Amino acid sequence: MTAERADKDVRGLDVEAIRREFPILQRRVHDKPLVYLDNAATCQRPRQVIEAIDGYYRDYNANVHRGVHQLSVEASEAFEAARAGLARFLNAPSDREIVFTRGVTESVNLVANSFVRPTLSAGDEILITHMEHHANLVPWQMLCEHTGATLKVIPMDGNGELLLDQVSELINERTKLVGVVHVSNALGTVNPVADICQIAKDRGVPVLVDGAQATPHLNVDVQALNCDFYCVSGHKMYGPTGIGALWARAAHLEAMPPWQGGGEMIEHVTLDKTTFNEIPHKFEAGTPHIAGAIGLKAAIDFLDDWGIEAIAEHEQRLLAYTTERLSAFEGLRIIGQARAKGPVVSFVMEGAHANDIGTIVDHFGVALRTGHHCAMPAMQFFDVPATARVSFAAYNTLEEVEAFVAALERAQGMLKQ
Amino acid sequence: MLDRLYQKVILEHNKAPNNFGSMADATHSARGTDALCGDDIQMWLRVTERTIEKAQFSGEACAVTKACASMLTEWLEGRGVDEILPAFEAFQALMDDADRPPVEALGQLNHLRSVGAFPARRANAYLPWKTVLEAMQIPSGLT
Ligand SMILES: Cc1ncc(COP(=O)(O)O)c(C=O)c1O
Repeated sequence: MTAERADKDVRGLDVEAIRREFPILQRRVHDKPLVYLDNAATCQRPRQVIEAIDGYYRDYNANVHRGVHQLSVEASEAFEAARAGLARFLNAPSDREIVFTRGVTESVNLVANSFVRPTLSAGDEILITHMEHHANLVPWQMLCEHTGATLKVIPMDGNGELLLDQVSELINERTKLVGVVHVSNALGTVNPVADICQIAKDRGVPVLVDGAQATPHLNVDVQALNCDFYCVSGHKMYGPTGIGALWARAAHLEAMPPWQGGGEMIEHVTLDKTTFNEIPHKFEAGTPHIAGAIGLKAAIDFLDDWGIEAIAEHEQRLLAYTTERLSAFEGLRIIGQARAKGPVVSFVMEGAHANDIGTIVDHFGVALRTGHHCAMPAMQFFDVPATARVSFAAYNTLEEVEAFVAALERAQGMLKQ
Repeated sequence: MLDRLYQKVILEHNKAPNNFGSMADATHSARGTDALCGDDIQMWLRVTERTIEKAQFSGEACAVTKACASMLTEWLEGRGVDEILPAFEAFQALMDDADRPPVEALGQLNHLRSVGAFPARRANAYLPWKTVLEAMQIPSGLT
């Protein structure tokens, strides 16, 4: 399939119009047009997100929730509208179930410290998967070390698919929580989260889902998944860095003690005692990332405007085309060949270290990621020190895949000399 | 610029590195890893009376690290232990200023000065040096 022919297949999404929404795509890198294929690390921001942030600072910058003056009212409204927008985006039953955080990392740490830690004792177990990002691994390791609890792991196969039939055996009466990544950033695997939730819920075990790589590519419905906690990062879904969220069932949030103390999260304070604010505010100590939340709302609007299904369909086409093109390379091995994948292709190439590939293609304007992708246990499973990874967003095109493939050919040729 | 980084001599050392493999009778050895990019090497030294008789390296790494390790092991042979740190300092100075004339004492390691123009890759060229210094328990001042 040539790029030209394949492009004719692209219906539904006006990619050229989308590209015009992203000012940074005009940039040149090493005097070549930028081909940005590092979207799983962080994607680019559309104009409407940049303008929403800019608009807040220019027009109604004020602190939230504490002022009677007009600007504070406007800022508070926009901030709470972002919460409502995210609740709707995730199909959460209530806005009160959205806690703003800095991202997935902070969301997981909040659950670890506030939900799991208070009831965790030596001999208890936390169950995660072999493909977790360090964000959904290290907090549990730290907690286990502190309490004498055990971290157990759902294994995967050579394609990067979880061995679902083992989940049931791995859960027992000591299991306090199951943590699973929805879409793996290192392998691309889309995990059967609803099935895992079903198995865990049958045994009364709560489930936390790392949704960092899912929200930009999938319709996420926390009620249909039937999970207990869902973690979101704004910057993976066209929003700003430094903002994300935790969705949690209201009953859990009500029962959880606050994690950080300070302003905003209190109801009444005397020198002797503090009563805490209601949810979700009792988990949002201090001045929040107001501009970030407002930017995130604009990102959700962007996804809604273009339609996440249409975006996903386009990205799946890029994924299939890339997989096909890379398969023709001699000595290239794709790491992660699950049947259901997000738009991520991780690979290693004989005689060409990922680092060298990254440096060479960068000189052709192609930004990709090399390394362990913060999922070192997954790299160890595949016995590779590092991979090169391309990952797509709505604005990527088949021509860009061609540019990447051409650059990769150059890299291979160069390193083979 | 890319051609300078991936010049022939560096690519040749990458493809067929010298002194590659572990050393059974090493007196000093250390492992050097850069988890972020996946480099994982071991430097091996046989030292008698503060002189390096033989140096080897093993492991897996990118072209820059491998070429540097290969050149460095050649360079080390017959050198005094006390020569290593000053040479590493001269090597780092070369990275900071590619216009500097070659440092004669560094020999073929001068080829690696082109790495200086790639800030993201300097750590790769430093790794073999740092690992040798660690094996000899000489503080490098670098983290
Ligand atoms: C799967 C996955 N989980 C968690 C994270 C961490 O997200 P953040 O750095 O925004 O907290 C990332 C991003 O690198 C990710 O890809």
